[in-house]
Amino acid sequence: MNNLSLALGSRILGTLRFLGGLAFLIKQTTQELFTPPMYLRLLADQIYHIGIRSQSLVLITAASTGMVMALQFGLGLEKFGGKLYVPKIVSLSIIREIGPVFCSLMIAARVGAGIASEIGSMVVTQQIDAMRALGTSPIKKIVIPRILACLITLPILTALGNIVGVAGGLVVGHHELGLDPGFYYEKIFQTVTIMDYFTGMLKTVFFAFFISTISCYYGMTVSGGTQGVGIATTKAVVGSSISILVSDFFLTKLFFVMFEL
Amino acid sequence: MSTAAVEIRNFQKSFGDKQVHKDVTLEVRKGECLGLFGGSGTGKSVILRSLIGLEKPDQGQIFIEGEDITQLRETELVEVRKKVAYVFQNGALFDSMTVFDNLAYPLREHTKMTPDEIRKAIKDQLEEFGLGGNENTYPANLSGGMQKRVGLARAILLQPSIVLYDEPTAGLDPYNTVRIQEMILRLKERGVTSVFVTHDMPSAFAVCDRIALLLDGKIHGVYTMAEIRAAKSGKIYDFIHGEEP
Repeated sequence: MNNLSLALGSRILGTLRFLGGLAFLIKQTTQELFTPPMYLRLLADQIYHIGIRSQSLVLITAASTGMVMALQFGLGLEKFGGKLYVPKIVSLSIIREIGPVFCSLMIAARVGAGIASEIGSMVVTQQIDAMRALGTSPIKKIVIPRILACLITLPILTALGNIVGVAGGLVVGHHELGLDPGFYYEKIFQTVTIMDYFTGMLKTVFFAFFISTISCYYGMTVSGGTQGVGIATTKAVVGSSISILVSDFFLTKLFFVMFEL
Repeated sequence: MSTAAVEIRNFQKSFGDKQVHKDVTLEVRKGECLGLFGGSGTGKSVILRSLIGLEKPDQGQIFIEGEDITQLRETELVEVRKKVAYVFQNGALFDSMTVFDNLAYPLREHTKMTPDEIRKAIKDQLEEFGLGGNENTYPANLSGGMQKRVGLARAILLQPSIVLYDEPTAGLDPYNTVRIQEMILRLKERGVTSVFVTHDMPSAFAVCDRIALLLDGKIHGVYTMAEIRAAKSGKIYDFIHGEEP
């Protein structure tokens, strides 16, 4: 019993420390975001690393998801004569939910891990200390470019992923289910509204913020050498993924209320 | 007017339950090189890090050229860090940048020098440190001694008035050790104040004017080199000769 309460207390303390640390990092970032100097070159580098270099991963995931969904729904609904609903179901699920969430999870895995391990390695080799000792701010040089790059690139990657995902569904719908591409295309535009697209994209802004801040936080607070870097990387991916999945429900609920979807 | 470039008053610092510094009070005179001795884990590096604001004391004050830096915020410490350089034990070079970019870093951040002026300044600095021709080399491809020299070269490019050395000769061969000593002496000749944390006694004897002994969380004493050479007993004698102090 005593051990259980100790473990529980330690877990609660750890969570509070994480939330407090994250809040402090966000406060520092906000304070330094609007004061010069701005490092636009570093931001451009991060947009390249986070955005451009994640394209293939996101697009392959999106295409695969769209194709598999179309196939599964098509074969399942065919038994009940509901094959014609495949374009509606696939496109709506991809644009509202699957696209933003899967794209964000992929970015959490690739970019979150990269951010945490890179910053963590810089911490253990005293490069972050050197940055401070040379009179520069690691928040400005390391954290802000990564957060901004995530905020800029994730919605764009999701937009591309949505198109590829829906197109994948269309290809499978035509070749495997025998649906007419013109019909499929028409049903997509009849079903999906601009609001569906907008709310899906808006979610990715929140997800990008969670991925980047959580990963930066774990990277900046690494301790315990190279083993610590590994632990921080794992925590960053797990923390980012959980925050995406948990917040997705609440954001969906919120958008339903706000925009009367 | 105070002759102290660095002054530490009643410095206290704990890590978790362990109080590392109970009450450290120390003064470093302008232009001198003060060696800071103490066993492993006595907190010498923590003191050094605190002198540039990388650590905050739990209690006490630190004055750099008369200014209390313990009350300064991170953004306000930038000015302090321009005049106080920190030489890290392993160089702490940015591994994603070449030697040139590592050296250019402080110049690009804090000066209005043109790219040509920066190129010339770095070329001169590398020549002075015996590192000419390594501009495009990445730190991973440098030897340990060269990394330390690049670290020192980068730290002093802004011409600081105070330099803090964290075991700059640890793990170096005699050739590189002597090169580092020569560079420290050259800076001393220019009037730079230094705090030198080391376990390397020959280097300390070569460059230091005085030695402070950190023991049990306090400064046990500050000794001139002549006093240390003449000592036949006492804590500093025991420490230098490998006895239990």
